[in-house]
Amino acid sequence: MGSFKRDYQLWIMVFPAILVVFVFNYVPMYGIQLAFRDYDFSKGITGGEWRGLHYFEQFINSFSFADLMQNTVAISLATIVLSFPVPIVLALILNQLMGKRIKRTLQTTVYLPHFISTVVLVGMLNVLLSPSTGVIGQLMKWAGMGDINLLASTNAFVPVYVLSDIWQHCGWNSIIYLAALSTIDPQLYDAAKIDGASRWQTIRHIEFPALVPTIIILFILSMGHVLGTGFEKVFLMQNTLNLPVSEVISTYVYKIGIVSNQFSYSAAIGLFNTVINFIFLYAMNLISRRTSSISLW
Amino acid sequence: MKKFSTLILTACLALTAMAGCSSDNGSGGNEANAPAENGSGGGGGKAQLTALIVKNGLTKPLKEMEWLQKVEESAGVEIKWQEISSDWGQKKGALLASGDIPDLIVGQGAVGDADYAQFTGLFQDMTELIPQYAPNVEKMFEEMPVTKTISTQPDGQIYGLPKYQRFWPGSGTRQYINKQWLDELGLDAPTTWDELYAVLEAFKSKDANGNGDPNDEIPMDFAPVGTGGFGFFQPTVLLGSTGITLSDASFQGYFVEDGTVKNFVTDERYKQMVAFLHKCYAAGLINPEVFTQDYAKFQSNSRGDGTTAKVGFTFGWGASDRFGNELPAQYASLPPLKVSASSDVELSWSYDYNHMNYAGNMIAMSAKTKDKAAAMRFINELYNPVVGMQVLFGSLGPNIKDNGDGSYSVLPPQDPKMDPGTWKWTSTWGDTGPMYLADSLELDLPVDMAEVLAEEEPLREVLDKVDEKTDYYPGPFIKYSKDDLSALSLNNKNLMSVAMAKFAQWVTKGGIEAEWDAYLASCEKTGLPQNLEIMQKYYDDYQSKNN
Amino acid sequence: MGLAGKSNELVFKIGLFVICSLIFLVIAYPLYFIVIASVSDSTLVSTGKVLLFPKGVSLFGYKEIFKDERIWQGYGNTILYTALGTFVNLLFTIPAAYALARQEFKARRVIMLAFVLTMFFNGGLIPTFLLMRDLHLTDSMWVFILPFSVNVYNLIIARTFFENSLPKELYEAAAIDGCSHLRYFASVALPLSRAMLSVIGLYYLVAHWNDFFTALIYIRSNHLQPLQVVLRDILLSNQVFANGIGLGGDLGGYAQRYADQIKYGVIIVSTLPILVVYPFIQKYFEKGVMIGSIKG
Repeated sequence: MGSFKRDYQLWIMVFPAILVVFVFNYVPMYGIQLAFRDYDFSKGITGGEWRGLHYFEQFINSFSFADLMQNTVAISLATIVLSFPVPIVLALILNQLMGKRIKRTLQTTVYLPHFISTVVLVGMLNVLLSPSTGVIGQLMKWAGMGDINLLASTNAFVPVYVLSDIWQHCGWNSIIYLAALSTIDPQLYDAAKIDGASRWQTIRHIEFPALVPTIIILFILSMGHVLGTGFEKVFLMQNTLNLPVSEVISTYVYKIGIVSNQFSYSAAIGLFNTVINFIFLYAMNLISRRTSSISLW
Repeated sequence: MKKFSTLILTACLALTAMAGCSSDNGSGGNEANAPAENGSGGGGGKAQLTALIVKNGLTKPLKEMEWLQKVEESAGVEIKWQEISSDWGQKKGALLASGDIPDLIVGQGAVGDADYAQFTGLFQDMTELIPQYAPNVEKMFEEMPVTKTISTQPDGQIYGLPKYQRFWPGSGTRQYINKQWLDELGLDAPTTWDELYAVLEAFKSKDANGNGDPNDEIPMDFAPVGTGGFGFFQPTVLLGSTGITLSDASFQGYFVEDGTVKNFVTDERYKQMVAFLHKCYAAGLINPEVFTQDYAKFQSNSRGDGTTAKVGFTFGWGASDRFGNELPAQYASLPPLKVSASSDVELSWSYDYNHMNYAGNMIAMSAKTKDKAAAMRFINELYNPVVGMQVLFGSLGPNIKDNGDGSYSVLPPQDPKMDPGTWKWTSTWGDTGPMYLADSLELDLPVDMAEVLAEEEPLREVLDKVDEKTDYYPGPFIKYSKDDLSALSLNNKNLMSVAMAKFAQWVTKGGIEAEWDAYLASCEKTGLPQNLEIMQKYYDDYQSKNN
Repeated sequence: MGLAGKSNELVFKIGLFVICSLIFLVIAYPLYFIVIASVSDSTLVSTGKVLLFPKGVSLFGYKEIFKDERIWQGYGNTILYTALGTFVNLLFTIPAAYALARQEFKARRVIMLAFVLTMFFNGGLIPTFLLMRDLHLTDSMWVFILPFSVNVYNLIIARTFFENSLPKELYEAAAIDGCSHLRYFASVALPLSRAMLSVIGLYYLVAHWNDFFTALIYIRSNHLQPLQVVLRDILLSNQVFANGIGLGGDLGGYAQRYADQIKYGVIIVSTLPILVVYPFIQKYFEKGVMIGSIKG
């Protein structure tokens, strides 16, 4: 009780957040049991027949399970590994720019692609990558790489997905790092200058360390997406030629759900996904807490 | 310090208060919408109904449709419409699960058999209401018993009512060849796959369109092939050359041959067709981007540069739809090809008449509707054939002319820049509305439909020979049980993910010979045998009931 | 600085210039492409004829977009939802983030874990929909503002910032002077966190601006629809023929010809206002903001 008396102001500050999270996130959570029950409209979500792990087994034993897992992990791991460092590097580069106008122009430009909707992004990929008519297709032909149809190849699907993802979001994701860089005490820079540190050394010893806590937190969070490829972009980029590598869990759920109201089955797949994601996040958080004392909770 | 904490607290309180207010407003608003208050007791005499329509995005607001105003008038109802033209699939689940649906839901497949089965008690069984209030629906059921079959669930209830639009062609896909190019190069129209191959080769190697560039011709092109199955305007119609009659374009490969349900993706004849397509693709005769282009690109290829054609052989609905305004005269619709000159297989094509002209579940009623009689009166009006043609083509006056002798003519678009198809979709519900165009109705079709029917002539002979009883899977007329439907769709999902990927791979890279046996084995594992068994059961059942 | 240092500096500058120019080109070209595609003939765009300059210029796409009278109401609604929503978001998130950043707050680990769990587990669409209906939030503007007003991801970022960027000695010094948490938060922590506040504010603002799903599921009345839903409607309406035979009817070439113009135009119409806001936020990322604000 002593600690409550001491901390009551902190409780006041956190209370509104607890309230909205409780009401809007925890209250509907009874819906999770749909994954273990049949959906029966007349009896409500909690009234359908209890099926236990039936729908989970159905998924794990399903024809496409192995392929789905493999594709999903491949796409999301590639995205995490390749696109995670880019915003950090970009923020450090932008931070080196002295001229205010150049800096602002470049900053505004790199964050703009974030606002392009997925439909349009994929439409642009189709236009720009087309070997006969697209700029990139033409450039590759010009570089002597021949008529390569990047949209048709199973090998190119993941690179195209990841690179376009980096293109679209690296600027936006660098904003948080820029904010962290802005908090560095100018006296540190002055001291470095007096010590005769090169720009490179300044980056390594002053700027990068300032980013580390944010980097670790964001990395832990990104591990919670091991099975979390987004739906829309993969779905829109799918074609019959890349299907062997582009069918992922989210597109599968969409396709089976839309035809025949497979509520319970979709819920079970979703929960399966979530649990695995959470295990990864939990593990990463544990490692981080042991090694760097930075952790989510 | 105090200042800030009070600030936060006041803000929180204010917000809760506002939420409280809004909830009052919200429920007040809802009650006003509900028919309860005004429904039966309304002094104006008109029954108030709520309705939701899933309409085409081009379609103008419903309040601007003259015919609909008249129909509401004569049914003595006033309807508050909610108009949806996008993302219905995402909205539907939550709306239905909440149990809070409008009195009427309109639109092709807006709600369907799976929903009736899933959301038991949500929809009104109209079996007893129809004889009471809907003589036009009764009449349709009598004149065309199949419309009753489409509407009736396995257990006898009628939740959704159908459409019969009568005039649509027997097949969705026609094949076109550029006959100007043939003339230019001194070639005859192909009649076999071998001749087609030779013609395409000539298109490729020579400057067939005469613009000085021998390399800009695309000898053959077809519509993008989706990952979930085949579709219209795709080369699956070539299976007709091997004697397979596609049923409603056989999106997922199912067809019927001599009373047996089969799937062509595991058929030797399909293998033969894919091998032919690969031969064409390898020789550069098929658009190299055929599997990666989107529909807009496919469309613009066929439309060339306005006056210069780029595509030699392709598939489409109608020539002016496929080739734009300038080029259709260059193209001719071809009859089905033989595999080779020596082939004696009876030719066929894709038999889609039922899919084109009938559909179930165009309109459904909520079981909670207060004034069911009024809702039925409105539904009844829609099934008057004279109203039906206005549902499809637009209002009498701006869209349809009453010739005064009991016959009607569809008028050309008022906006001269618009083609008749777009005009129709702008003016009215079009194909997505409930309607009954009785065979006795005398109606002159718009030019685009007349054109399509004329271009279907080359296919007429084989389409007429198709025996619906033994060589057609009556998909549009069959109602599956919930469990069967669910098994079918899960298995098909698996089957298609194998078959579609392999189709694209074999056409572009070849290898069908080497991989065929392993492929058959994995198709077995997808649940195909179970699906064939289920469909055979329903097919046999349907045939025994209806013949 | 020696000669070597100077030439190093020069190499660094040249390298920086080259890299930045490359980044600029790679990112700017596709953006430029969107602009020219929004005024060019769609057929020419999809056949690759439009690369550097617009061709077959017409403003049909924009006319078509602005012809829809709902768009102005959509703008109005979105601005209202975004402003009010972001305010509520910050009001709920930032104090909580501060509290959870305090090491001495014993309950913080349990609360954080409970919060993080909601990033993963949720009840699904149907129970959430039923809840909103029971709270009378469906078909009301409050559905954009109250539910999910605390985004746990943003909360974590804000908390990390409070933990790492505020000098610990500051609070200790203040506490000795008898300064309470609320006062320290309001008069020291917040002013020092402008960079973070602007980032979190921007994240929330953009999320509200781009949100169409909430409206899609919970809003029925036309007069409450936000801009994104109106634009999405316009966009999808014009692509109805993109999937071919679709509804089993005939196809319209007229609509198709300009569908892509609308597609690209929609992006510009919906992004421009955000583009205007950004410079105001950007100035808080400049170097040394934090120290400047302590002094000021």
